[in-house]
Amino acid sequence: MIKIENVTKTFGDFTAVDAVNLEIGKGEVFGFIGPNGAGKTTTIKMLATLSLPTEGTLSVGGFDIVRQPREVRRIIGYMPDSFGVYEDLLVWEYLDYFAALYQVEPSRRKGIINDVLELTDLTIKYNAQVMSLSRGMKQRLCLAKTLLHDPDVLLLDEPASGLDPHARIEIRELIRELCRMGKTILVSSHILTELADFCSSIGIIERGKMLAAGRIDEITAALSGNVVIEITVKGDPLAAIQVLEEREDITRATSDGRVVHAEFTGATDDVDQVLEYLINRGVRLTAFTPASADLEDIFLKITRGAVA
Amino acid sequence: MRGMRAFLVLTGYVTLLSIIVGLIYLVLSKNAPATLVNQAGIVLTPVLIYVQMGLICLIAPTFSASAVSFEREQQTFDLLIVSLAKPTTILFGKVGAALSYLLLTLFGSVPLISLTYSMGGVSMGDIAIAYLIMIVQGVTYCSFSFLWSTLIKRSVVSQLVSILTVIVLVAAMPALALFFTALSASFTGGPSSTFINVTFLLLRTNPFAAVASLIPGFPMPNNVWLRSVPIWLSQVVFYLLLMISSLYLSLRRLRNARNWV
Repeated sequence: MIKIENVTKTFGDFTAVDAVNLEIGKGEVFGFIGPNGAGKTTTIKMLATLSLPTEGTLSVGGFDIVRQPREVRRIIGYMPDSFGVYEDLLVWEYLDYFAALYQVEPSRRKGIINDVLELTDLTIKYNAQVMSLSRGMKQRLCLAKTLLHDPDVLLLDEPASGLDPHARIEIRELIRELCRMGKTILVSSHILTELADFCSSIGIIERGKMLAAGRIDEITAALSGNVVIEITVKGDPLAAIQVLEEREDITRATSDGRVVHAEFTGATDDVDQVLEYLINRGVRLTAFTPASADLEDIFLKITRGAVA
Repeated sequence: MRGMRAFLVLTGYVTLLSIIVGLIYLVLSKNAPATLVNQAGIVLTPVLIYVQMGLICLIAPTFSASAVSFEREQQTFDLLIVSLAKPTTILFGKVGAALSYLLLTLFGSVPLISLTYSMGGVSMGDIAIAYLIMIVQGVTYCSFSFLWSTLIKRSVVSQLVSILTVIVLVAAMPALALFFTALSASFTGGPSSTFINVTFLLLRTNPFAAVASLIPGFPMPNNVWLRSVPIWLSQVVFYLLLMISSLYLSLRRLRNARNWV
């Protein structure tokens, strides 16, 4: 759905994006991670047809952003990291204005505005003045605007930046809901925990260079070589450790109370073999979870390598 | 211009015009000879037109010089560009919005003009030409102010540059022409025909001169270039060309918005 091929963007002598390659499939939720000034916004702006690449090609839904910007704009919804709103408009007027700009037929506008307001939990603010909304509400209003023309691809640049924890959770829930609706989402953030919950894949960018990109578990496995499995046992954890250590693909097993941590050297998809093995060997367990990847660890490992 | 602001500006504008016309009429009726008072329209109508033209010089740039720069300042321009709105839609939407209010203020003065017309001394045709000059003047100022707003990031600077452009067009060029005419006269004992021609050519770019040329008794030398072409007509054509150029350049600028830094 989104394809970035060897894209470089320079501003004078400064290279903001350096030969970046990336591919995001349909329905994927891609987390774009990197510190401030890493090149996330520049890349997203190019995808949103707001800026032209110095080199390379970018396409969204098969449309080239340089040659077919209008087709791209038809299928994308873009939410910038910092944006303004027309403070003196009412909420419905603001959405109606953008619906007109997105060429939504006048007869359908009211229904669509109601739908996006319901989705973003702003129905109660239908007649409120935009200036009276809180920061979090304005953020949701901008997201509502982004959804007016029902785009297939969402480009969300730091959607929760500057929000209080409550508003962050609301935005996160909203993005999760959009994931369920099958949208392809590229969401950037420098706050890793924000993305960990709902991203199926990530890309780590620093100083304009894409350091790693792919599924979170793949990146974790590539970095550590092992998948860590958390097993909560019902009986003696030491007995479970003994059983686990009999396997050649378990390199290390430790216990923390009744939870056993086992490092599995096999592929992520083969973790079920360990579960089957434990059950066959009579180990009674109440939970068996391949440990979710810790994005902060991944990020630190990758960026440390790059800096070194 | 939502809510009370538009209403207040319009009310203030018409009130100001009424006060000026009322005061002049008062002075005129007390001091001028009876023949002139009977034809008070000959004084009041040009005054009313000139005051309106002066206000256009201020209002038109103020309204449209921040059209794009303010969107950039308040960070809504990206949202506009990434929508399906074509550059022409943005251009005509923005200029149209500024212009519609300007036209509203112009037509707000029609009752006053009809009052001064009823006082005699001016023809309906001259009033119509004066309004044409004012409308073209307003559209032109809105157009190049919009161009400045696409070129300058900060709306205050854009407004300032637009007003300076108006000053150059309205005051600086005729002043320059008169200065050189006077200079030439001091050397040769009288202005040469070339200088007079240049002066009149420059006056042909000026809307105030165009309205003045409608007043009976306007001095027009015999051998001046383009004598047969009315000054107001050449002025309107000049402003129309300026307007078309500004709109064209603005459109080009909007089409290349992706190259803006």
